[in-house]
Amino acid sequence: MKRAFCIVMMAATAALGFDAARPGYDYQFPRDHFSHPNFETEWWYYTGNLHTRQGRRFGFELTFFRYAVREESAGDSPWNIRDLYLAHLTLSDIESQRFHKTDRLNRAGPGLAGVDAEKALIWNGNWRVQWLEPAMPKGTQRLTAYADEFSLELDLSPLKPPVIHGADGISQKAAGEGKASHYISFTRLAASGSLVLRSETFDVKGLAWMDHEFSTDSLGAEQIGWDWMSIQLDDDSELMLYRMRRSDGTADPHSSGTYIDADGRARHLAWSEIQMTPGAGSDWKSPTTGGVYPLTWKVEIPGLDLDLTGATDLDDQEVVSERRVGPSYWEGAMNFSGQKAGKPITGAGYLEMTGYDKPLELGPEE
Amino acid sequence: MTSASVLFVRLIVRPLGREPVRTALTIFAVALGVAVVVAIHLAGSAATGSFQSSLETLTGDADYEISAVGGLDEGLLAGLQALPHPLQFFPRIEGYAWLAPDRVSVPVFGFDLIGDRSLDGIARTEDFDLEQLTADDSVWAGSALVPEIGRKLRLTMNDQTREFPVHGILDVSAENGASRSNIVVMDIGAAQRAFGKEGRLDRIEVFVLQHDDRDWESIITAALPEGVTLSRQGSRSDENRKMLSAFRWNVRVLSYISLIVGAFLIYNTIAISVVRRRNEIGVMRALGAGRNAVTMAFLGEAGCLGAVGTAIGIVLGWLMADGAVDMMAATVRSLYVSSTPGEILFTPGSLLVAVASGVGVSLLAALAPAREAASVAPSEAMARGRHETAARIRIGRYLAYASLLAAGSWGAALLDPVGGMPLFGYLSAVLIIAATALATPAMVNALTRLLSPLLRAIFGAQGILAPRSLSASPARTSVLVTALATAVAMLVSVSIMVGSYRDTVIVWLDERLRADFYVRTAGQREARQYPTMDPAVADRIEALPQVEAVDRFRAYEIRYEGRPSIIGSGQSEVLIRHGRLGFLDGSSSKDVLTALGSGDRAIITETFSNRHGLGVGDTLRLPIGGRMVDLEIVGVYYDYSNEGGAVIVDRKTILKYLPDPSPSNLAIYLAEGVDSESARPAIEQAAGSHSVTVADHRTLRTRALEVFDRTFAITYALEVIAIVVAILGMAGALVALVIDRRGEIGVLRFLGASQGQVRGLVLFESGLIGLYSNAIGLLLGSLLSLVLIFVVNKQSFGWTIQFHWPAAMLLGALTFIYGAALIAGIYPARVAARLNPIEVVHEE
Repeated sequence: MKRAFCIVMMAATAALGFDAARPGYDYQFPRDHFSHPNFETEWWYYTGNLHTRQGRRFGFELTFFRYAVREESAGDSPWNIRDLYLAHLTLSDIESQRFHKTDRLNRAGPGLAGVDAEKALIWNGNWRVQWLEPAMPKGTQRLTAYADEFSLELDLSPLKPPVIHGADGISQKAAGEGKASHYISFTRLAASGSLVLRSETFDVKGLAWMDHEFSTDSLGAEQIGWDWMSIQLDDDSELMLYRMRRSDGTADPHSSGTYIDADGRARHLAWSEIQMTPGAGSDWKSPTTGGVYPLTWKVEIPGLDLDLTGATDLDDQEVVSERRVGPSYWEGAMNFSGQKAGKPITGAGYLEMTGYDKPLELGPEE
Repeated sequence: MTSASVLFVRLIVRPLGREPVRTALTIFAVALGVAVVVAIHLAGSAATGSFQSSLETLTGDADYEISAVGGLDEGLLAGLQALPHPLQFFPRIEGYAWLAPDRVSVPVFGFDLIGDRSLDGIARTEDFDLEQLTADDSVWAGSALVPEIGRKLRLTMNDQTREFPVHGILDVSAENGASRSNIVVMDIGAAQRAFGKEGRLDRIEVFVLQHDDRDWESIITAALPEGVTLSRQGSRSDENRKMLSAFRWNVRVLSYISLIVGAFLIYNTIAISVVRRRNEIGVMRALGAGRNAVTMAFLGEAGCLGAVGTAIGIVLGWLMADGAVDMMAATVRSLYVSSTPGEILFTPGSLLVAVASGVGVSLLAALAPAREAASVAPSEAMARGRHETAARIRIGRYLAYASLLAAGSWGAALLDPVGGMPLFGYLSAVLIIAATALATPAMVNALTRLLSPLLRAIFGAQGILAPRSLSASPARTSVLVTALATAVAMLVSVSIMVGSYRDTVIVWLDERLRADFYVRTAGQREARQYPTMDPAVADRIEALPQVEAVDRFRAYEIRYEGRPSIIGSGQSEVLIRHGRLGFLDGSSSKDVLTALGSGDRAIITETFSNRHGLGVGDTLRLPIGGRMVDLEIVGVYYDYSNEGGAVIVDRKTILKYLPDPSPSNLAIYLAEGVDSESARPAIEQAAGSHSVTVADHRTLRTRALEVFDRTFAITYALEVIAIVVAILGMAGALVALVIDRRGEIGVLRFLGASQGQVRGLVLFESGLIGLYSNAIGLLLGSLLSLVLIFVVNKQSFGWTIQFHWPAAMLLGALTFIYGAALIAGIYPARVAARLNPIEVVHEE
């Protein structure tokens, strides 16, 4: 068996000296689209459902993580480490029933990875997000990523302004002050561009979703993971839901969601307003990690008169860090269908399930 | 039994069985010849072998590498990694560490241990955390250096010696194990600091993730600044292979000498067999055996001797290969490049070489005498002596052939090398050997005529009989003399070459080493390693009142036209006042150095000039520090320190392009009247805690000559074996001569010669053979040495060697060979003395 080059992260001086997400945060764009080094953990998550003119469907995920290892770099050398930058890139080829995934880990080094507000750039090697007009209203972003089996070049333009989730500028994850994140999303990005899969080029169009979240030590002690989904309905509304799971199998009451209507107005959904349950008999067991993931979901939001069932066309969309740096999780393209206000409705989205192979820890492992 | 096998048994097997000693000696001579060829073949592959640059052991499956003289700016990496293509770029720092207790130099690599995936699967660790991963004193080591995690390695990198706890082991994988097990890996930042290369990278490895029809080479090159080179992965190994091929060729050619000597002996053995068995051949022919059958029988004999000799030779060669690898690896390391010897592998190719050289050469050598045998007419069988008469008649014709071959040899010596290989030089050598072989009968006759009166006067009856009996059978004697003379010639020629070379180097060293002290980093350095020291050391030494001047020298590895070389920088203002360089065109050292001190100018070594066809006035375009620099060549100087040659510029010039003030070496000139031994403690103190060695010029000279002698150890070993083969063969041939002349000896005894007189006669004969061989060998060897020095050396290496006779050494060697020839005569002399005269005469 190939022995992995295993990096066990240093013992993090947990949260010491880093800021926690607190209410009343003053969001300013484009500044807040970029890095927040005072927070320990930060990520930029791009997911989307794409299709060719002929109707061939692809899902993609491109994620940039930043984990602060220490507050200050230990010396002058650019190779000294303050933050670690991890990135995940996946492509779900629905027609061929294949899931391509790859990752990279870097330190900032002499410009190898990082976030540069001035250049409006988030990058890890040649996986990059270049914001063309970071100031609203447009906020167009160009996504490029090149890997061994496939590459991606996408232009994303927001059809709606960014949404700040939660209440009073924080998205609470667990009980207690600071057990929260600052959470911003572009919930409807028109995507167009091309992807190359094994030397074959596809022109694609579709809808993408972007999450940007930063926090320090936001998980509760009892929490072992979460289920998150983004749903883009064909009536131009969107839904974001997350369920924080506790070790006793129950959902943390601080789980919540956001509804964005066709005009871009966001409405915070408390856990009491949400019913989000895995469907019976849809479990898929990962041959790699042994994690058992439920692949169909029922979503009911009585306050919106919304009733949806989500399912996937590709079972294996598990992202496994080859070197076990960062968590393994299932993140895949989903289809949704059901009823809204008595009328049939469909949509597409992404589902993320973490902590199914082992309890999840954010940031460097202890 | 078929008639052919009857013939074979009757003509060959029985006579061989009757003379076990002679048979054994011949076989052993062939075996030694084959053994040498096999040993060198095996060792050649292992020592230069993988040809792998030890710095290329960890490249994995990278496709390209990016490099520049003096390293790359690390800022280049970000731009490359951002290229919109499925490419990955990983940085490397490279250097060598001196592992003191083991007295070895080990390659050290700086890897981006976070981002780089090439160590995946070969690195093993326990409880490794990020803090340790990137710490300055953390190393990963090959399993041959450290058995387990947690041990410490005491390493000297540049001028710093420290203890490094080993935090991980690099696993030996099957395909690359041997070379990987001897390396040290650090995180890149730590490696930069250890080697004083902050902000720089030695290489960037390029991995192409998607192999399609895109022209990656031009895509990547387009993204590189001028003066930065992209090369295909493995090109450094290719360069090594090219660079080492001349060396390998020369060693291989030397190894064939023993075989050539062996070939003469086989020829001799078969020729004697034919002459001795003319009776039997005649009888067999009379009984109806065809000519072909007779030819085949004698070829069969040669084949059998060759086969048995080959079998023994393979085993011997295998045993000798280990020693040969050590000797060759030492040469490669000190002269060419740091490389790790590979495994000794016996391949089908090695077997082919052994069989072709042993059996093939035996058959070839036997061809002429076997055909001679077939020409024996049934009626001639009883008529003895005709063969020898015929041989005598041909002496004139042989001389004519010899002159033709000699002319050919002269012509071949004038031709240019083929692909950098002195092929015509070798041809010239082979032709001159062949010419000498053909001229030997004439020379033996001439020598006999010349010596006869003298010998008669001194030794009386023996002095008359011995030379006569030798010249009465010129074919046999000549072959014997040729075999020994060839071996002698090889010894003489190589001795002259190496001796001349050594003398040239000594003269050069004495002229060159004019400083009182030389300082470099501690540990033994191999070829193409240039560790540096803190510039403050030089400054402190320069400030000492005892010191007049310090010359700071810095070297960087370069590639020019695909050949590795160095660019060095010194302080010409110091060299003008205190040093001296010998220039080819005789220019004054002062004038050239003054010119060198101003502007982008360079002087180049003779080897560099020869190899690249550059001379004074030409412009040398080199990428230095990521820029293309045009250097005007102002001088070509003699230098024997480095096979690849060197380009030297002034220190100011190099600092302009590569602003790193750390020197690799210092030359220290003391003030007038300061005693060097009293200055040494002050200099050593100025070095402080830096690990440097201070050597005076005598020590440096001795060390240089040690390296030189180590380099030629294998040459000497090969020569000695060739001589041993020749002497063994001579003993065997003399036995045959004695047996062949039983009748003659019987008559002598019958006529009243005592046993002692007969023994003396045979010894006298072997002494004469030794004498003849020495004389002819000395002549041939001197001619060959001219070919070696002025053709083979010049074409393979490009050095000017002043011709010089190592008189004492040659005298010693020739005396030894003469003594050995006499000793070789002892056994045949006893055989002769023990012959029963009655019985022998009765046979007649």
